[in-house]
Amino acid sequence: MDQIIRYFFDFPLMAAYWPDILRGFLITIQMSILTVVIGIPLGLLIAIVRLYGIRPLNILIIFYIDFFRSIPQLVLIVLAYFALPYFGLVLEPITATVMALAIVLSAFSEEIFWAGISSVAKGQWEAGRSTGLNFTQTLAYIVLPQVVRMSIPPLTNRAIGISKGTTLGSVVAVPELLNVTSSIQSNVANPTALTVGALLFLVLFLPFVRFTRWLERVYAHPR
Amino acid sequence: MTVSERGRSTLEDSVVIRGLGKTFGSVEVLRNVNLDVKKGEAVVIVGSSGSGKSTCLRCINRLEEPTEGHIFVGGHEVTGKGVDLNALRRRIGMVFQSINLYPHKTALGNVTLALRKVAGLSKAEANEKGRRHLELVGLGQKADSYPAQLSGGQQQRVGIARAMALEPDVILFDEPTSALDPELVGEVLNVMVRTKELGMTMVVVTHEMQFAREVADRVVFMDHGVVLAEGTPEEILVAPEHPRIREFLTRTKS
Ligand SMILES: Nc1ncnc2c1ncn2[C@@H]1O[C@H](COP(=O)(O)OP(=O)(O)OP(=O)(O)O)[C@@H](O)[C@H]1O
Ligand SMILES: [Mg+2]
Repeated sequence: MDQIIRYFFDFPLMAAYWPDILRGFLITIQMSILTVVIGIPLGLLIAIVRLYGIRPLNILIIFYIDFFRSIPQLVLIVLAYFALPYFGLVLEPITATVMALAIVLSAFSEEIFWAGISSVAKGQWEAGRSTGLNFTQTLAYIVLPQVVRMSIPPLTNRAIGISKGTTLGSVVAVPELLNVTSSIQSNVANPTALTVGALLFLVLFLPFVRFTRWLERVYAHPR
Repeated sequence: MTVSERGRSTLEDSVVIRGLGKTFGSVEVLRNVNLDVKKGEAVVIVGSSGSGKSTCLRCINRLEEPTEGHIFVGGHEVTGKGVDLNALRRRIGMVFQSINLYPHKTALGNVTLALRKVAGLSKAEANEKGRRHLELVGLGQKADSYPAQLSGGQQQRVGIARAMALEPDVILFDEPTSALDPELVGEVLNVMVRTKELGMTMVVVTHEMQFAREVADRVVFMDHGVVLAEGTPEEILVAPEHPRIREFLTRTKS
């Protein structure tokens, strides 16, 4: 027991590394938030465009969704960082990682939004249109509010899952939390750094999970 | 075709249907349907399942696209290209069998949405008008309830208030009580009677024969996509000449 504590919870040993850990933590937070605020709205936008039923565009969209849902995120990050420069697009490691993750999240959230839109009864559209609302108004005031509500639980799961992919940024040398803590671990030959990293991940994601649980509850019962 | 080209004067007419035809693919669902509904009239359409009643109704506000013929509502042609459908639909209320209240909005929110976004009323004006129409259907107390907190009958009354609040030229009812528990049918029919007394023009598809007999100014019997007979409730529902109608009536009585 004593040994475990010395091994995994040797906090004094960390003293010198706090600034690095904190910086890594902030980078992880930043990347997670960016991934979510880019990925989910982009997914919604794509779902809405798909709804207008423009044939060639929809074929493109479906290809986009299937492709980015199938390809491993790690591969995508590596491609974004190492391959895009050949096409004249040089990205910062952080930007490349966020871009890759946001695109993957957009593909998954498009699918979730699309399923939501499809599950809203045709009668909701008809009720709206029969009162003179146009297509876009019916979508905005009647359909989407219902879709957003029912999409929150699956979106949360996806968003958390994919945000955890920020740790993959280490392959392109993003100094994010896990990268920082695991290099500290090998420097001092003590995994306490990883313990700290894990705790910080909890600090980051737990409130998020709790918040969305609360949202689910609020939406489950009107009022 | 303009209204006057059809021959008869139409100032009295709220809904005019001429030569309406509708096919779904190769299936002909409506054939040469003609119908005149005068202002303030309640016309009830009856007929067996699949005879085209809903399709006919839904052509009037173009939830279905007619394949042939012309339809006028309040003197404006509904059919044809270049019609401002949204402006027209505002003038044509619809009440659905499946009710279709917006589940994320309160009763009042259901009634006021189009008042705000289509009629362009301010929030205060819309709320005032919405409450007035909820009072009219006896649900003034339920303005802030969500659909899930209302009975089916109450929900459908909100549906009627939602249609009435826009003060349309006509309200189309497509089997408004068919999805309701029997004990809830009466309250909805009562509201429809009141709607008629307020002078609203109504086209009603229903299987409630007693309502048809008591409230309809005219009854239209549809069969296999055509209007087989049209007349007073007495003529169609009490002493029908046509054997198809007699057969239909004995079937619905049982
Ligand atoms: N969207 C559609 N596509 C193909 N056929 C349809 C469609 N809508 C209706 N029909 C067909 O058109 C015919 C008339 O249908 P409609 O719903 O107008 O009948 P109805 O008289 O309202 O019947 P009910 O009393 O069952 O409501 C039916 O044979 C139906 O199967
Ligand atoms: Mg029907």
